[in-house]
Amino acid sequence: MIELINIRKVFNQGKPNEFVAIHGINLLITPHQVTVFKGPSGSGKTTLLSVIGCMARPTSGRIMLSGREITSLPERFLTEIRQKTFGFIFQQLNLIKGVSALENAMLPAYPSGEKHAPLKKRAMSLFDLFDLSSKAASRVEWLSGGEAQRVTIVRALINNPSVIIADEPTAHLDSKLSREFMEIIARLKTEQKTVLIASHDPLVYESPVIDRVINVRDGNIERSA
Amino acid sequence: MIFHPSILALYVASLLISFMVLYSSAYGVQILRRWDIQSGSELQLFLERKTYLISTLLTYVFGFELLSLFLYIFTVDQLSTFFVGAMCAAGTLYVNNYGYPTLILKLVNFLLAGLWLILNYADNRGYDYPLIKKKYFFLLILTPLIFAETVLQANYFLGLNPNIITSCCGSLFSVGEQGFTSEVVALPSIPMKIVFYVAMALTIASGLYFYYKNKGAYFFSCASAITLLTSLVSILSFICLYFYELPTHHCPFCILQKEYGYVGYPLYLTLLSGTISGMGVGVLMPFRNTKSLSEIVPSVQKKLTLASLILFTLFTAIVTYRTVFSNLILEGY
Repeated sequence: MIELINIRKVFNQGKPNEFVAIHGINLLITPHQVTVFKGPSGSGKTTLLSVIGCMARPTSGRIMLSGREITSLPERFLTEIRQKTFGFIFQQLNLIKGVSALENAMLPAYPSGEKHAPLKKRAMSLFDLFDLSSKAASRVEWLSGGEAQRVTIVRALINNPSVIIADEPTAHLDSKLSREFMEIIARLKTEQKTVLIASHDPLVYESPVIDRVINVRDGNIERSA
Repeated sequence: MIFHPSILALYVASLLISFMVLYSSAYGVQILRRWDIQSGSELQLFLERKTYLISTLLTYVFGFELLSLFLYIFTVDQLSTFFVGAMCAAGTLYVNNYGYPTLILKLVNFLLAGLWLILNYADNRGYDYPLIKKKYFFLLILTPLIFAETVLQANYFLGLNPNIITSCCGSLFSVGEQGFTSEVVALPSIPMKIVFYVAMALTIASGLYFYYKNKGAYFFSCASAITLLTSLVSILSFICLYFYELPTHHCPFCILQKEYGYVGYPLYLTLLSGTISGMGVGVLMPFRNTKSLSEIVPSVQKKLTLASLILFTLFTAIVTYRTVFSNLILEGY
């Protein structure tokens, strides 16, 4: 369970270009469900996901993760939570060029100090699951758009997180690849993952796999469907 | 003289330290008054973010505070060539009324800054800022002392007049003069040796007992503090005599010079660091049962105890080696 209590996020506070991205949002996110944050560009979806995923701190308000308050945690503890609890799929794929798909996928696990052999085994089983085994040794720049997207999903899953956060994951995908992506999301849902997606793509928020759509506009939640 | 590189370094450093400590204290007051971990208010989140900055800043500031004691001693020792009568730091410090008070205050601040760093280290490892109010309260106690040190140090260096004929260490630390130091140097060597080795043995034994049994932390902590005092008195009373191989030269500063292989630096460094580590064990003791520190404090205490034991043993080894192998045979002085 993720609970947002009066979350507010202000950028450049006290300066002439002050911008309030989120206005005191209260929200309960049910675990093991797929939740979509829907809204136009600049509505605060990405900021909201960043705050939930401990990538940014709110200006005020608290977030409870499985009953534990996480916004007050010192950075060293947040890093651990980011690593173990959240897996991120970004709008820009953020894959490192010149490095193999396998190495890219294993990267988030390196700070944990896990031994290379079991880590590689786990990564390869994920590559199998996403039909990427033959591409493991390929450099990421040689991959097609869909393959690269799947590598980012493997990367998000490498630490076996309970929550997957995807920010506009289909923004650079065609319809076929977007549908494939939603099939993967359906699979993650059956594996009891909590999935949070920010998107304004109808292929995403109208997908049958989605449990809940939350409309975000001007930093506020409009309604829950 | 004011443009001597070391003096300039000490000036700039003390001004920076004072400014940083004052800046941090301002937030410390706010934290003491307004900190509420249960609240998600803007102020609370601001203070949570700010405390990272302050904590990092003070780690460097107090790190330099520790170094500045040795830089101060090194500087005044180097300046001894400018003053008629001065042979080492002892004479330079005696040039005006601010030299020795600055040294004593630096020594006190060295110990307090070390203890603050230990408290800060433990606090930073707890997930809920468990010692935040305690460490900022401690900081508020430390702030006026840091300021006093800056003022005294500035007065000392500004008041250095090369025309002044000062006293040499031979007369400042000699038997027969009036005052505390004369009484200390006049202490008989054999009883002082017994006091020194018994105090050190008790400290090391209590440290080992705490390390293996997890008991007696306060005793070890107090023993470390007492060992510092007995060791300083012992340096004046008999230890330095073995380094100089002179039965009447009790100066605690000449051992910092090249002629004696700068042995004073490792001697004082091991003694002071060992004391801070040992005292730190007791300082952390009340927080062993704090939920977020229940696993951290025992581990930090063990590391501190080990460090303290190694440093005190090293100090004793240097002293004992010199006592045994010196050409001076000191009996009954």
